[in-house]
Amino acid sequence: MALLGGGVLCLLICTVCVSIIGREINGLAFAGQLGSVGDWLLARGVGPVNGDFELIEAGIAIAIFAFLPLTQLTNAHAKVDVFTSGLGAKPNSVIAGFWSVVMAIIIVLITWRLFVGMQDKLRYGETTFLIQFPIWWAYAASFVAALCASVVSIYCAALRLTGHRTI
Amino acid sequence: MSDLALGFMSFPVLLLLIFLRAPIGLAMLLCGIGGLWLATDGTTVFMARLKFEVFTTFSSYTLSIIPMFLLMGHFATHSGMSQSIFKAAQSWLGQRIGGMARASVGACAGFGAICGSSLATAATMGKVALPELRKYGYSGGFSTATLAAGGTLGILIPPSVILVIYAILTEQNIAKLFVAAFIPGLLAALGYMLTIAIYARIYPDQAGTHPRLPYGERVKPLIAIWPALFIFALVVGGIYKGWFTPTEGAAVGAMGTGLIAFFSRSLNWTAFRDSILQTATGTGMIFFIILGAGFYNGFLALTQVPQELSSWVTMQGFSPWTVMVLILVFYLILGCLMDSLSMILLTIPIFWPVVSALDFGMTTEEVAIWFGILVLIVVEVGLITPPVGMNLFIINSMDKETPMTATYKAVLFFVGSDVLRVILLLMFPAITLVFI
Repeated sequence: MALLGGGVLCLLICTVCVSIIGREINGLAFAGQLGSVGDWLLARGVGPVNGDFELIEAGIAIAIFAFLPLTQLTNAHAKVDVFTSGLGAKPNSVIAGFWSVVMAIIIVLITWRLFVGMQDKLRYGETTFLIQFPIWWAYAASFVAALCASVVSIYCAALRLTGHRTI
Repeated sequence: MSDLALGFMSFPVLLLLIFLRAPIGLAMLLCGIGGLWLATDGTTVFMARLKFEVFTTFSSYTLSIIPMFLLMGHFATHSGMSQSIFKAAQSWLGQRIGGMARASVGACAGFGAICGSSLATAATMGKVALPELRKYGYSGGFSTATLAAGGTLGILIPPSVILVIYAILTEQNIAKLFVAAFIPGLLAALGYMLTIAIYARIYPDQAGTHPRLPYGERVKPLIAIWPALFIFALVVGGIYKGWFTPTEGAAVGAMGTGLIAFFSRSLNWTAFRDSILQTATGTGMIFFIILGAGFYNGFLALTQVPQELSSWVTMQGFSPWTVMVLILVFYLILGCLMDSLSMILLTIPIFWPVVSALDFGMTTEEVAIWFGILVLIVVEVGLITPPVGMNLFIINSMDKETPMTATYKAVLFFVGSDVLRVILLLMFPAITLVFI
């Protein structure tokens, strides 16, 4: 899942770079600095990627939702543990178990609300401004990733509660 | 209970949750949701917000700069650039007293110019420089402290993930903040080098030197670092000159470092996969905190706490400088306990209205930039202050022979240099604002 998100991220980066190059060439060609080559390029429609902002906004959301399961799985969330480190192993594992359950509940809540949000976007047929890209597609892809994060967080909480996971 | 009281009540609750080891993003999210629930007498408001706000937070064009900078940093880590930067620094600085340690700081500064994270800088340079330092007879405590302190340059020297977040929170121009961080970043590197010189004179037995190299042999390693210089100039210069937006700059930087790493044959599939996975966990962690902070700050804004606090501080007639110093000291203390990103996201929405209402005889933009750089430095000091300086942990874990206490002892010199620098920048805002 995380690799998938990474793939999306890399695609976005390429899109942005192509868009910048396109924009620069387009600008130079319009200014007439590239001569006939420039005219040829313009005729081929070389320019910035249409709606790159919108693509990035949709893509980055999908990528980040796709990153959540791994963050959950590796327990990479930032915490403050100076005050609890003196408590010993047993209370700490109880605390960790408690938070992993709360985390799972919250992620499931987020996933559910995301689904409702998606239905709203679908119902009103909202699209992005420039390329008329239906917003609910991005919601749907994010929902799949969030669903994955829910499953992972429930799984982690279960592992912790049954004592199969201690870190 | 009035909304305002509810807002103030939420601080101790939030701190309690965080100190009970709740993931910080989760603690903020819970307080935000709970607060909205109580303040609006029901679940309707936060349930409606959850429908769209999570997606909107994650799909922000400005914030998309963060995963891209993270990926750029991880590519840089795998690119072998850390080695060439260290070699260049070593050949120019190595022969002085404490020279190898100075070279490490110089290399950290160089690597910080292509990496926006302190932890990554410390970890990467630690791997390259720590064995060298030990080989030339530097004591374990001195070596680890030097690298932990040098690592903080990663975030001070642009590009910097924390500055991006600060810029978004206070609605300032990212490019200007990057430029403003440049001189304080250089000052930091020079300050650390001076600290090393002093330390090496106090404890001469803890430091060794590298044989002096003729100038001819020094040029080659300098040439080898051109890719790093090129990327830095392209990204920071491009953003500053307005060739592209900060997000586009980050994309160009990630692409560029990726290509360099690929052509230096160090980016194979495993390294690529590692970079992606590390970017993934880092991004997931950061955005979860951003999400929590968004909800919590939404709730605080509803209760009017930031405005009330700001007008209260103004009413008391404190000198602006007193308030500023108190805030910075607060960050120093909090920095001993919490990571820098969470601190910024948690406190800037509360402190910035207070600071912007004070009269320092500067424009709001200047105050924002100056305050941002000061805060950036003090939260970074948190990375090297005992007991929970993350950089100390990372570097110390690389050197099995050195006890944590030895690192703690030596790092206090660098903390001293940081504090002096903060005082200097506080007294002379012009140092930060010279290019603005």
